[in-house]
Amino acid sequence: MISNPVIFYISAFILIFCAILSVCLKNVIYSLLASVLVFFDAALLFYVLGSEYNAIIQASIYGFAVPVIIGVSIMFTGRDAKKHKAFTLPYITILCGGIFVLAFLYIIMISILAMPDTFNLQELVQVSAFDTLSAFAKGLFVNYVWAFELVSLLLTIVIAGITMFNQKRGGIK
Amino acid sequence: MIGMYHYLFLGLALFVIGLLGSVCAKNVIKVLIAIEFLLTGVNINFITFATFCDNANFDGYITGLFYTGLGAVELAIALYIFYLMYQKKKSDNIEKYSEL
Repeated sequence: MISNPVIFYISAFILIFCAILSVCLKNVIYSLLASVLVFFDAALLFYVLGSEYNAIIQASIYGFAVPVIIGVSIMFTGRDAKKHKAFTLPYITILCGGIFVLAFLYIIMISILAMPDTFNLQELVQVSAFDTLSAFAKGLFVNYVWAFELVSLLLTIVIAGITMFNQKRGGIK
Repeated sequence: MIGMYHYLFLGLALFVIGLLGSVCAKNVIKVLIAIEFLLTGVNINFITFATFCDNANFDGYITGLFYTGLGAVELAIALYIFYLMYQKKKSDNIEKYSEL
């Protein structure tokens, strides 16, 4: 685990700011781009927390695959995309977002100042990469093997089901 | 020093933003994006607890993996349903999707 306050605060600010931006922007394309930043930033946080595998999966699925799916669906349905302006943030949204960001920074600063010196659970976490890998392997293929197989089956059913259902309807028009 | 509560609060903030976005957004695709924010906030909490509290088994990491995969599946199905309904409604405004 990387315990660097600068990395955490910068990534937390980008995460919150881009999430607010993604929710508030009216243009779906810009909203999607802001959400991609949020997902990559979440992957960075996973890496900082010490979970490299979750970071890679988050970046590959939510950073690349999900935006492609959403982008394709926007292409299929974006007939009135030109009607939206690029930035249509109302002032009240900007004001609420600014207050939220300031409150967020204030609460983090207060929590740092109020934290007792004895509260440092990070010292208890001393795990090597091999231990993490073996714990992952044990978790996936021993403890949660049925859940793993069920998720794999569910993914296969979804792919095959959507393909068959779409072929019955005559394909995408 | 960055502790567990910082990450938990960050996950909570992302969860709240996703919740507000999924309730308030008018566009169907933006609602789905906001739901993904919600899932990512929960995922941050899982991994935070696994890092700080579970030093041996990392169950939170495994749950996060499943959560990521199921979230992608849910998004794909939701987008397909949206596409099928869009062919009839010809609009991405969520107020016109009151019936399945």
